[in-house]
Order: sequence, then C-alpha cells, then structure tokens
Amino acid sequence: MITAVQVLVGGLLLGAVYALFSSGLTLIWGMMNVVNFAHGDFVMAGMYLAFLAVVWLHAGPALFTLIAAALLFLFGVGVYYALIRRVMRGPIFAQLLSTFGLALLLRYTAFWIFSANFVTLPTTALTGTLRVGPIFVGAAQLVAGGVALLLTAGMHRLLTGTALGSQILAVAEDRQAAMLMGIRPDRMQALAWGLAAAAAGVAGALIATFYYISPTVGESLAIIAFVVVAFGGFGSVPGAMVAGILVGLIEATSAFYIGPVYKDVVVYALFVAILWVRPQGLMGERV
Amino acid sequence: MTRPAGAGPASRDALAHAVGLRRSGWRWTILAAAALAAPLLLQGAFYHRVLALVVLAAISASAWNILGGYAGQISFGHAMFFGAGAYMPAFVYTHWHAAPALGLPLGVALSLAIAAVVGVPTFRLQGHYFSMATIAVAELIRILVSNWPLLGAAVGLQGPATARTVWDLTFRGSVTYYYLFLAVLAVLLGVTAWMERSRMGYYLRAIRAGERAARSLGVPARRYKLHALMLSAAFTAVAGSLYVVMIGFIDPDSGLGILISVEMVIVTALGGAGTLFGPLLGAAILIPLQQTANALFGGGGTGFTYIFYGGVIVLLCRFEPGGLLAIWHDRVAPAFRRRSASAVRHAA
Amino acid sequence: MRTWLAVAAVVGVIALAVSGPMPGLGAPAAVKIGVLMPLSGNSGAAGQASKAAIEVGAQIVNEPHAGLSSLPLGEGHGLPKLGGAKIDLIAADHQGNPSLGQSEALRLITQEHVTALIGAYQSSVTFAATTVAERNGVPWMVGDSSSSNITGRGFKWVFRTTPIGPDFAAAYSGFFKDLGAMGHPVKTVAIVNENTEYGTSVGGVIKERLTADRYDVVAQIPYAANGTDVSAQVLQLKEKNPDAVIFVSYTSDSILFMKTFKNLSYKPRVVIGDDSGFSDPSFVTTVGTLAQGAINRSAWSVGKPGSATYVINQLYKAKTGRDLDDTSGRNMQGFLVLADAINRAGSTNPEAIRAALAATNLTAKQLMMGYKGVRFDKTGQNLLAYTYVTQLSGTEWVTVWPKSAAQTKLAWPFQGWQP
Repeated sequence: MITAVQVLVGGLLLGAVYALFSSGLTLIWGMMNVVNFAHGDFVMAGMYLAFLAVVWLHAGPALFTLIAAALLFLFGVGVYYALIRRVMRGPIFAQLLSTFGLALLLRYTAFWIFSANFVTLPTTALTGTLRVGPIFVGAAQLVAGGVALLLTAGMHRLLTGTALGSQILAVAEDRQAAMLMGIRPDRMQALAWGLAAAAAGVAGALIATFYYISPTVGESLAIIAFVVVAFGGFGSVPGAMVAGILVGLIEATSAFYIGPVYKDVVVYALFVAILWVRPQGLMGERV
Repeated sequence: MTRPAGAGPASRDALAHAVGLRRSGWRWTILAAAALAAPLLLQGAFYHRVLALVVLAAISASAWNILGGYAGQISFGHAMFFGAGAYMPAFVYTHWHAAPALGLPLGVALSLAIAAVVGVPTFRLQGHYFSMATIAVAELIRILVSNWPLLGAAVGLQGPATARTVWDLTFRGSVTYYYLFLAVLAVLLGVTAWMERSRMGYYLRAIRAGERAARSLGVPARRYKLHALMLSAAFTAVAGSLYVVMIGFIDPDSGLGILISVEMVIVTALGGAGTLFGPLLGAAILIPLQQTANALFGGGGTGFTYIFYGGVIVLLCRFEPGGLLAIWHDRVAPAFRRRSASAVRHAA
Repeated sequence: MRTWLAVAAVVGVIALAVSGPMPGLGAPAAVKIGVLMPLSGNSGAAGQASKAAIEVGAQIVNEPHAGLSSLPLGEGHGLPKLGGAKIDLIAADHQGNPSLGQSEALRLITQEHVTALIGAYQSSVTFAATTVAERNGVPWMVGDSSSSNITGRGFKWVFRTTPIGPDFAAAYSGFFKDLGAMGHPVKTVAIVNENTEYGTSVGGVIKERLTADRYDVVAQIPYAANGTDVSAQVLQLKEKNPDAVIFVSYTSDSILFMKTFKNLSYKPRVVIGDDSGFSDPSFVTTVGTLAQGAINRSAWSVGKPGSATYVINQLYKAKTGRDLDDTSGRNMQGFLVLADAINRAGSTNPEAIRAALAATNLTAKQLMMGYKGVRFDKTGQNLLAYTYVTQLSGTEWVTVWPKSAAQTKLAWPFQGWQP
C-alpha cells in the first residue's frame, strides 16, 4: 500500500516534469503548426545556462532559472527572425528539415564547448528530500511540479485572457485577417517563439536540479514530449499539462507493476488507442 | 496547390509529362550511363561502398516519398517497414539456415501485413497527429523486438559471414551490391513514374492538396492512402532486406530506430518531396556529405561533423526552403523555368 | 529538364573522388593504426576517453618516459624491430552505428592503409565492423567490447585482450564468497541491467553464474537505457530488499540510480556497478558524494608513486585532466599488446602480425592492467583476462579484492551519502 502510494507520487512528479518540458512545444506546434525538433535541445541549452550561472555567478535556483529563461527568450526570438520566418513560407518539409538541422547544430555546439562528459549542478538549495510519513518526495521535483502548474496556468491565462494572447491566437487562426485587423504577425509569432523558448529554458533550469546534464540529454526527453503534446492536443496548453501528468502516472505504474522495459509500450499503445477514438487528442480542437 | 483534381488539367498534365519524358529521354540515358559507369570511374573499395549506400538511401527515400511526398502523409515511423524487411533475411538464416534471399519476400509480406494493420487506425488522423501516431507505433515495435528473444532481442541477428551460395547475397566487395541496388531502384522508379501518371497519382496529389476537398470530389481517400502506404511499405521493406544482406548484422537500433525514419524524411525533403528525382538528388548529396564530413572531422572528436552537417541543412532551408530541386529550378536553370513550373507547384 | 540530375551525378562523383582525406605526411616509416570509437552521440564521452588513452599508449611507445621499462616497448624508442618506426594513430568516429562502423573500417583499411585496427566500444559496432577487417585480412584488436559473440565466429584476424561476461561473473561470485568469510554474508542478489546488448548479455551471464554458485537471485530487472526516470526500479529493489544489488548500466542511468537512491532513501548493504557507467569519470564528479562505498569491477589501479601505472596515470592526467578509468585503460592495454605484436612481427605484413599476435605470451608484470597475462586461445580471446573488485572512497576507486591485490580494507557496508 505504501509502495503503491509512493509509485503514484513518483508518477505525479514525473508527469509534472513532462508537462513542464512540453509546455513550450505545444505553444509553437499548436499555434504555428511548426514541429520544433530542436525543442529538446532548447531545454538542454537551458540546463547548461543554469550550470554556467551556478558555476560563474554562484546563482541560486530562482536566479539561474530567470537567467536561462531570459537568454532563451532572446534566442527564440532570434531563431524566429533568422530562420523560421523564412522557412514558414516554404513547404512543410523545409520546416521539418530546418528544425532538425537546428537541433543538430545546437546539440553538437554544446558537445564542442562542454565536451561529451556528463555534469550535474553543484549542490544547491534544492537537493533535499521531504518526508511525509513513509512517503519520500524530492524537493527539486516538487518545485519543478509547482512551477509546471504555474507556467501552464500563466500561459493559458496569457493566451485566453489578455489582448496580447488574443492577438497571438488571431495570427495563428488567420494571418491575413489578423494583418487586416492591424496586428503585426511577425511580432506575434516572434513573441510566441520567444515564450516557447523561455518555457524550455525554465524547464531546463529546473530539471537540471535533479537530473544530469549532457549535450544529448534533450534527445532522450524529446520523443516523450512529442507524444505528450499530441496526446493533449496540439496548441492546448492545459491539454499538455493533463497529458503530461497522465503519461507520468502511466509510466510510473506500468514500470513498477509490469516492468521498466515495457513502460513506453503501454504509453504508446494507449496513445494510439486514444487517437483512434479522439483524432484531435485529449483536449485539442477538432480539425 | 488548390487546383481541383478534375479530368481536364489532369490529362493536360499527363500529356505534358509524356512529351517531357520523350524529350528528356537522352537525359535518362546519360543518367543511367553515369550510374552504371560510376564504380568504374571511382576506383576504391570505400568509394564503391559509399556509392552502394547512396543507392540504398535513394531506394528507401523513394519508397517513403510515395506516401510522404505524393500523398502528403508524413510518416516518421517507416523504420517499422524497414525493420520488417531487415529482420526477415537474418531470421530465416539464423533459425532455418535458409538463404537470406528468401527473407526478402517474407519481409515484404510482413511489411504489407503491418501496413494494413497500422493504416486502419492511423489514417483517421490528420497532419501532425498522423506523424506522431506513426512514431508511437514504430517505437512500440522497436521496444517489443528489443525484448523478444526469437528476434535476438537487444543482441540482434546476424547474416552469414561468408557466402554458401549466391542466394546468401553475401559478396566481398560493394560493387555487386551497388548494381543489385541499382536494379531495384530502377524498378522502384519505374513503378513510381507509372503511378505518378496513373489515376492513383492524381488522387494522391488531390489528397495532399486537401483531403476533405478531394473527398467531396469523390476521391476514395482512405483507400488510396492505404494503397500508397502498402506500396511504400513494400519497397521500404526491400530496402531493409538489402541493408541487412550488405551489413550482415541487424539490431533494434540499426533496424528499427527512429533515426532510420528521420533519414528517409531528410533525404526526401532535401532533394524535393513529391517528385520522382528529389529523393535521388537528396541521397546523392546527403550520403557523401555525411560520410566525408565524418571522415574529415569525425576523428577529431569535437562533434564538428554534426555542426557542419546541421549548419548546411539550416543554411539550405534559410535560403532555399524548397529543397535542392528548387535551387535548380529557381537559380541554375532559369531556361527551364516555364516548363518545370508545374513540377515546382507539385513540390509545394 | 532533367539535365540537372545527370550533372548532379557527375558532380557527386567528382566530389567523392576529390573528397578523400589527404594521406598523412608523417615519417614514411610510421606504422599506422586505426582507432575506431564512438566519438559523438550518447557514448561520446567513453569513446573520447578511450581514444585519449590509446593516444597516451602511442606516446609511451614513441617517446621515452622514465619508469616504464617494465612494459614491452616501454623504453619509448618506437618499434625497434622495425628500425624504430613510430606509431601513427588515425582516429575515426562511428557514432555507435554499425553501418558507419563498417564504412569507417573500410576507409581506414583501403584509403589510409592502416596496418591494424583497434575498437570499437559498443559490441554491436565491433561485431559488424570486424567482418570488414576479416574479409580484408587486417588484424583487429578488441580492447573492451565484451559481447561473447565477437570471438568464436571462426574469425582469424580478431583478438581480444579484455575480460568478458564470465570473467566478471566469476569475480563477483568470488568476492561474495570472501565477504561471507569476513563475516558479511551475502545470500540474496538483485541484478539491474540496461536492455541493450551489453546489459542483457552481461546481466544474463552474472545471473547464471551466481545461481549456479547457490546465491539467490531474487530479481533481474531489465530497463531501457537513457530513460527519464528510474524510481520504479529502485522501488522494486526496495521491496525485494536483497543483500546485494548489481547494476549493469551506462553512465546516464548510473547517475540517476544514485540520485534516486538518495531521494527514496534506499541503502542496500552492497552496491555493485559493473564497470561501464560507474567507471566513467563523470560518475565520480557528478554523484561520487552519493555513492561512497560503491563496488566496481576494474582491472585498473593507479598504484604507488613511481610504479609504471602511476606514471601512465600522470601522462593521462596531463593530457585530459582526469584519472585513467578502467574502460579506457583496457583499450590502452589492447593497444600496447597490439604494438608489441607488430614489433615482434618485425614488419607490417598482416600475416606476420597475425602470427605474432597468436604467439603473444605476456606475463602480469609486463602489463599495465591487472590481467594475469595475455595469451590468446584459438578464437582470439585472452585466456588470462582477469578483473579486480574496487570500492569508491572519496573520489578514488581503490582495489579491495582479491586480497593479494587489495590496497585497503573493504569499507562495510555501502554508505552512500552523508546524512
């Protein structure tokens, strides 16, 4: 019984991390119909930025998360103007190809600068373990989960409850019409890229507090993030949150009760089954 | 491309195509002659191997192109068909001591069966949902195979180290493989060219332009997508079988890994999707680029291979989003622009 | 309309023809050896460390260093029987891809004209790429891939110095037996292995051996490498509560296991890491403080100041800034055995080198690794391969078993982290 609770708690925390990891991806995927293969590598960049902030500036968790978010925001905007704006005018294949190339470029630039060796963040305030009765909860995971909730809520509020959000959505819906309304689509889409990259930066910085950092770390997280986003429905921020937690719970329970090698089989099978029933994902809009 | 798939423009296209084919006959001849002569011009076992790998990549990308390029259904899970083709020759050799060549038809049959089963749930899905579902199914199969002792689980299966008969398809040099692959590629291109001009080709292009519109015009979309998938899956499986007889070894990562699928997409996209020659061009550029970049920079161990490779791809997309084919059309051969305009529209 | 394709084909062919790397401009007498390693991708760190170790090996052969004369060629005058020829290494990256491994092996053989090859870390690549060497009649030294399938295929040209699965299993079984004699009985064991070739085959062999030696293997938990979370495995261990846990894991997972141990407050009495992930220098720098008292297998030990191994470690440290680890050390040893055989062959004739390799007979004193010696059987496997058991103390792995090689007494039990 205690073990079952511990498994569920672990699943919830893992799910929150997946949600955190996926929130930026769903924004640009859903809003702009661009598959960002480099998303995992944005998160990797966030991890290394946090690492550098701790090593060079002895920054605390709040500061290094902010630094990673701010720098990646700028990077996201830069990538939009330098690459994506141009590529979006081309066929869909150009989008796939360009973000794939960007992923390789980012991953191996990190490889070049930091070498292939694994690093972890030096001990920070977030390494403790909380104990609730017989149940263990990692402090870092708890913080990551909390921030995932906040980030999701904030992003959802921004998109649905503010003028800026309506403008972003308007551009996503119909670029031409939005232009006629006096919205400058480039600015809105650059903003969306900036926000998505900043969310990846936050995710990277927080995941780095309890995970290892390596140039290829984004790869192992990326496939599951793609599945989470499709599972939740493209462009649905709350959908990614719900799907992330669901995937986390399924993984944790199936890994414990069926076996760690089969956990992804259960996730993928359920994913395909749900798409069969709901082709637009859990909370996506019908296409 | 919003042009309705009506009979008028279609037959006009077919006519233009037939005329174009006849006129470009001499270019076909040059191309075939260049391909046949390449191993003689390029001496050296390593170059022969790279040539064979180029043709192999062209086969799998051309097979992917039938579904992904012509029908616009972007699959990231074609590794499952490649794997079906790759595992069968090693399987029949390991368990029955049979000739790996026997595995090829079995692999194609298995691949067709998988395509039929997978097509049913996934073709309900549109756009990226389809892409993600194919990834999920392919990964599912990869994990199951990694844990299935009959298929060698994580350790993988091997082919014969030395040939017993010619049906082992185990040759010392790469030249034999090169010509074998070339023959398969020629068949595949013939089938694709025929399909391109048949009713199926027009239906697929109509589906790519807009499935709902195509359906409302009476195109049986689900059925033709399934046909495209099966044709695509069968040839992808052939590519897998050819891969395993050349390498002599298969494991879950090299037979079913997601990178196998991604490479088919990248090669096709780089050359130009939805065209007969795009995948060939993509393979002819990308595979030598990969191999030489790795030969030149790989030993340094700085990851520069990928920085270079990724950088080339990003720059290409930035300055010519239509793929290499578009560079040719827009910049190198303006003289041909008028006649090839329709081909560019297809690529878009 | 399709001239472009013809042109592209011609351009491609020309590009291929001119793109071959320039031949080395070193001394004409230099003997070229190809080093095939995963220098990028997930195993990039291990591949690069091994490449650096082999480079130090070449440095030992090519340049004189004090204190290395116990090793064959340790005088540092090149290969005396080849007129003092130096060794020239040509490294290539296979990215963990068997097909690319074959391509690169073929390129090294036919374009670079290497005399012999060493590699290739992942067993899958070694397995596929050695067929190229076999078909071309070029000697291949396997420094560290442990899959039992690599030798025993009837290949003439493949030799392997490293201990393999059964050797590891024998070491653990012997270690457990001696633990019992020291008053720390181990009865129940759990094996946690990643499910690629390495983990599956080594995990299986360990289970077989321990079961045969009447240990109770209460669980074997396979898992997918490079996963995002390992809590389920640790919770399963917690539930089975075995006396000893053996991990057959790569670096990323080993780091996560130690972090998760702490998070879930789990401390079995004995934690064994089967080399690989635990031996990666990153393991100690990232989670060393959480893994105090962890056990590892290793045939490498730095030794006392002044010893040959100590000098080698200094050389490696000067090059990379890190201590030498077991995986890289086994590759360096493979290289030194290969160099010695080429010297004894007295020429770069492949058949002569093959004969010299087959006739290799080195004693423990002539080695830098803790093997009992090097002597190959008919399949090319080293009959005298052997491994120690080490324990993490601070930031060092110190040898604790067998007694004859032990540097310090075993610390009991696993301490993990400071509360």
